[in-house]
Amino acid sequence: MATEENESTQRNTLVVRKSCFGLPTGCPQCLSAYIFLKFSQVQFSLDYHPNYPDSDQIPYFETGDYVTYNNEKEGIIECLKRDVGDLDTGVSSLPDWIATKVLLTTWLADALEYELWVGCSGSSAYNIYYSDLPWPIGKVLCWKKAFWVTQKHGISKDNAEVKEEEIYGRANSAYDALSILLGEQKYLFENRPSSLDAIFLAHALVVLKALPESSILRANFLERTILVRYVQQCTAEIIEASAIPSNYPDFHAEPSSSASKGRSTPGSKPKTKPKRKPQTKEEKTFRRRAKYFVVAQVVAVILFLSVRSGLGDNADLELDDAGYDLDE
Amino acid sequence: MTNAEEPALPNPNNHTKQSTNGDAEPHHQHDIEDEVEDEEDDEYDEDDDVVQQPNRGTPQSAASKLREQRFKVETLSRRLSSELVPIRVHDVVINGNTKIKDWVIEAELRDIENATSMQELVQASQIAISRLQDLEIFDSCKIRLEAGPRELPNTANVIVDLVETGDKVSGEFSVYTKPSTSSWTAEGALKYKNFLGYGDLWDASLAYGANQMTEASVGVHAPRVKGFLTPIMVRIFMHSQDWQEASSYKDRLLGASLGLISTEHHDLAYALGWRTLADPSQMSSRSIRRQLGHGLVSSLKYTFKIDRRNSPIRPRKGYAFLSSTHVGGLTRDPRSLRFLRQEFDFRFAVPFGFYNTALNLGISAGAVFPWGHGFKTKPSPLPERFYLGGDFSPVCTLGGPRTLWGFKTRGLGPTEPRRQNRDGSDDDDVDSSGWDFIGGDLAVTAFADFSFDLPIRWLREHGIHGHVFAGSGNAVKLTQNEYRNFSSRKFLESFRMSVGCGFVIPTRLFRLEGNYFYILRKGEHDRGKTGFRFSFSASS
Repeated sequence: MATEENESTQRNTLVVRKSCFGLPTGCPQCLSAYIFLKFSQVQFSLDYHPNYPDSDQIPYFETGDYVTYNNEKEGIIECLKRDVGDLDTGVSSLPDWIATKVLLTTWLADALEYELWVGCSGSSAYNIYYSDLPWPIGKVLCWKKAFWVTQKHGISKDNAEVKEEEIYGRANSAYDALSILLGEQKYLFENRPSSLDAIFLAHALVVLKALPESSILRANFLERTILVRYVQQCTAEIIEASAIPSNYPDFHAEPSSSASKGRSTPGSKPKTKPKRKPQTKEEKTFRRRAKYFVVAQVVAVILFLSVRSGLGDNADLELDDAGYDLDE
Repeated sequence: MTNAEEPALPNPNNHTKQSTNGDAEPHHQHDIEDEVEDEEDDEYDEDDDVVQQPNRGTPQSAASKLREQRFKVETLSRRLSSELVPIRVHDVVINGNTKIKDWVIEAELRDIENATSMQELVQASQIAISRLQDLEIFDSCKIRLEAGPRELPNTANVIVDLVETGDKVSGEFSVYTKPSTSSWTAEGALKYKNFLGYGDLWDASLAYGANQMTEASVGVHAPRVKGFLTPIMVRIFMHSQDWQEASSYKDRLLGASLGLISTEHHDLAYALGWRTLADPSQMSSRSIRRQLGHGLVSSLKYTFKIDRRNSPIRPRKGYAFLSSTHVGGLTRDPRSLRFLRQEFDFRFAVPFGFYNTALNLGISAGAVFPWGHGFKTKPSPLPERFYLGGDFSPVCTLGGPRTLWGFKTRGLGPTEPRRQNRDGSDDDDVDSSGWDFIGGDLAVTAFADFSFDLPIRWLREHGIHGHVFAGSGNAVKLTQNEYRNFSSRKFLESFRMSVGCGFVIPTRLFRLEGNYFYILRKGEHDRGKTGFRFSFSASS
């Protein structure tokens, strides 16, 4: 059953799937609705509906006796734009709007769906959607959904690799396009939040927090520093702007939390951050190159000195191997 | 017993069953007196001199032989009626069983082996015949008693002659009231008998009832399982019911049930299932909306029932009592549906001795609560709550607080407003009442029904009678801290009441009623209407 909080005082309620991986909700659709409401600065409470994960009605937004379901009209975001305020006024007519929306709702959505259910063997997806159901029911529904995803993408044993390349290739193209579109801006369009920011931010947070470190999609995302910076900034702004009470699950500001840390319980704070942050790929590359540079400089100096002194003294120079490890 | 001049004992009766079985089981009903006179089937020799065989001694005329045997029978009857005739069973011989295991039949004959008198032996034989017939796998069951060995006086051999049914497949159709659905249910079943030779009865059934209730199930009934005192029943079922109109949800349950104990008074069954509540209309109220989804049902239900009324269709004398305890959430997984449900039901029929008049009184009460961590703030499971209403007669049904004359099924009790649409376009698709009946955690009902024969003879002969009745009931929510707002006075003041009169046409399967209801008191959103209506009721 769904848990409740302050139902007598809160009239606006967003009902979502369960909270996990340090996120208010682990489901990308639910998270996009949550972020949209945060961007809209609407007061609302969060409630969970964990025992109906396969329903297309969730997320839904309650205002008194009025309810907006996700499977009505054009989805929860469009309904929220109508009910609480349109964030996209003035930007939805921009030339790149439609293309960006298509990128987010097709290529990136498919890539995340594939990665959750097929690419990572469904472990993250099980935690997000079915871990609150009794075991036999959760397992059957999870298997059913995974089978449906493979059927939807036309994946079979013969074309699995081809399909995977295609899906990841499109995701990479989308990430590149979004990086170019974003540039140095804080948001995708006109430096102000829009519904597409909510959708993309939700996608990014699930990729960074829910997927395991071995995920290819996650690794591809992390290579785009512009996108990583964008996620960090937006998340920090949401946390700062909302002044979330202590018993709400909230974002982690750093996107590099491992997905393998397990789920968080609804209404509880996330676990404490690890003391040592794991290095990103770029940082490792930078360190390696820095070492090469330093070693090269030292060798150059030594060679200069040796050649200069050798011309004069013909002295032997023993190069002391100080144990530089050039294998990093 | 020595020098007994008695003729052979009669075969015990085969009783005819009151059902609409489609198979042809030849039942032979005889009176003991007829059997006594049926001399050709009787063999009971205590002494060689008692019955003169056709190929021994001096041939007797048919008339004198008849007189002699009649004399023996009369002597035996006098002895049996005046004194205990001691006897001991020497051997039990079973003939005719080809597939069924011997030990299954022997288990039904244990009382015969322990008989110490002729009277006890005859009674035990009749009971054994009845039990063997209840297995539904024999076309014919006969027991013969023969004299034991000559060297062992006062002994008898019991010969059981069985004819296993040739038609293993049979069909059955029945109509009954299912308390859980508060409505009539029609069921058709195909049965396959004695598949494994243990007297097992396999059946596949399809049931349909009101509110689009459908149930498909496959089950097996094993009367004798080693180590168990009572028959075992296992059933796999798929049950679905549409409560869209009253409560904006559909209920689907896929599971299995295991009947552990099933006797006349006690019933213990375990059920394991996957329950799904869905709302295709997407118009449900808040508390129902939050309970939509999947749940694991693992529950044990114990029912104690005594029914001493003289008729289930038109009781005129006697009493009945039922207590049902249902515990859910019997798994280690705390996410399964955890609840505790208790029902009581008491009925009493008082005859007045003229025109077959009788006053039937009844009172029922029930409560349901969740249990486990945080039970005070959790709601009770939606399908386990108490929903009152339904026009069918509470006189026939025995199963907790359910019906109240004059109100629709699920037509009274706690309500919640349904979802509202901003454009109002979806409101026309469902019942325009705009309220969901969400059921109560505590419910009480009571009724009084005065029935009498009608003055027309033809109606009396066919059992058609009239009745005047009154009913009352109420249901409230107590969970999620609502018990703090509960007050007995408010509960009593909000009791719904209805009265009425009508006629009843009883049939073998159900009773058809035509009644005029008058609602004395109802709640703001209750669905009760004064007027004339027909209804069907069947015994539960």
